Amino acid sequence: MHSSSRSAGSGTWSPPPGAEVLAPLDPSLFAPGPERDARFDVKERWVDCANFPDGHPKQVVEFLHRQMNEEIDSLESSARNLCDFPAADWEVRMCLARQCYDEARHSQMFRNLFEKRGGTVGEYPVLNFQYRIITRFANLAARLAIQNRSFEAGGLDAITAGIQQTRADGDEELCALYEAQIADEISHVRFANEWIRKLSQADPRNLLAIGQAMKAASLAFAQVMGREGTEGVSYPADREGRLEAGFTPEEVAFTASLMAEKR
Amino acid sequence: MGLSVKDRGEAVATLRHVHVELMEMLAQWTPSAPEMEVKLLFGEHIWNVAQHADALGKRAHELRLPPQHSLPPVEPYAKLLAQVRAERDTARRLAAFYDALLPGLAKRYRDYLARTDALMDAPTVRILEQMLDIESRMVAQSKTLRSEIPALAKAERAWVDALVEQERRVGNLVATAGS
Ligand SMILES: [Fe+2]
Ligand SMILES: [Fe+2]
Repeated sequence: MHSSSRSAGSGTWSPPPGAEVLAPLDPSLFAPGPERDARFDVKERWVDCANFPDGHPKQVVEFLHRQMNEEIDSLESSARNLCDFPAADWEVRMCLARQCYDEARHSQMFRNLFEKRGGTVGEYPVLNFQYRIITRFANLAARLAIQNRSFEAGGLDAITAGIQQTRADGDEELCALYEAQIADEISHVRFANEWIRKLSQADPRNLLAIGQAMKAASLAFAQVMGREGTEGVSYPADREGRLEAGFTPEEVAFTASLMAEKR
Repeated sequence: MGLSVKDRGEAVATLRHVHVELMEMLAQWTPSAPEMEVKLLFGEHIWNVAQHADALGKRAHELRLPPQHSLPPVEPYAKLLAQVRAERDTARRLAAFYDALLPGLAKRYRDYLARTDALMDAPTVRILEQMLDIESRMVAQSKTLRSEIPALAKAERAWVDALVEQERRVGNLVATAGS
């Protein structure tokens, strides 16, 4: 889960009549998407998804479906890191291999709950923007910075908020899923923090690659999400989770202040 | 005469190389296989074969080779791996991996276990026995999936049989054997 993946706003399945016609995505910011089977309806932008308003009876089930697909994107991106960087240190490759397993389990966990609540795979549109943004870069440190240290670190904040919400709502099943998921995600962010530091120390050009990639990734993300997908979607920083995930206290304080400003 | 420490190290380092390649093969297939259930199966199995590569790499070091040392297998097996990796069709990928490559490797582990000294080489024995257990479970999982989704079981029998035969004909995987 990344910080903007939870449904927000009051969209419907497709843009309402008379909605602003958006410019196409800038192809230079995106790699080709991963394969999906015939059940899936893959969209490019957040507004084209089924964005049910808060409290809508289908909101949670649609979210579970969307999340099931985002976990597949994360699995596919980690898998690409394994085959695209065969010369990477064996230790980081082991972390990536483990991440593949974790993301596959996460996807299955979301699918199980989604189906238990009456959903069918492919029932709602999905986005593959994560894979398309991450695999656009040919540098492992840059990919880890985008996938694990940005999307997934943002996910820590969102999952922690989700745990509090589901506990308040009495949704114990989803709360248990989130708790299991966040433990895994903390490990993913932690190994990325560790390896980004090691890779940057070994070759400072990696820092430049990360900076350039983060800039392009945030442009790409803004194109996919649009104003509608991010407005009003923000969570307080999960200080404890971020510290466990290897961010320094200074980094956590900085993120927390940025997020407090946004709120 | 049984296996020397050098023989054991070379066999273990060769199997390590093969497992790294299996990991990369599944990783390459994960985004390019359309079927969701197959992606998730590969996700779990990437971790299994990575752990096997890791255990073999640590054992190679114990057998007086550098840590995580890999030795490429003999040319015909390297070609077979490249040929399987290039497959585009999911049913063929599954058949090649789970009906030809893994059962062929299992036979080789058993052959090694029959030839090595179970006490002097006990750590390798333990690793190979665990690999036999986990890799046979991987084959079983793939069979279950293919029975649940019949489209995934449509690789031509004759093609699979030919691949199994190609794998069998390779013989010893260790490139340095006999040199
Ligand atoms: Fe995940
Ligand atoms: Fe993750």
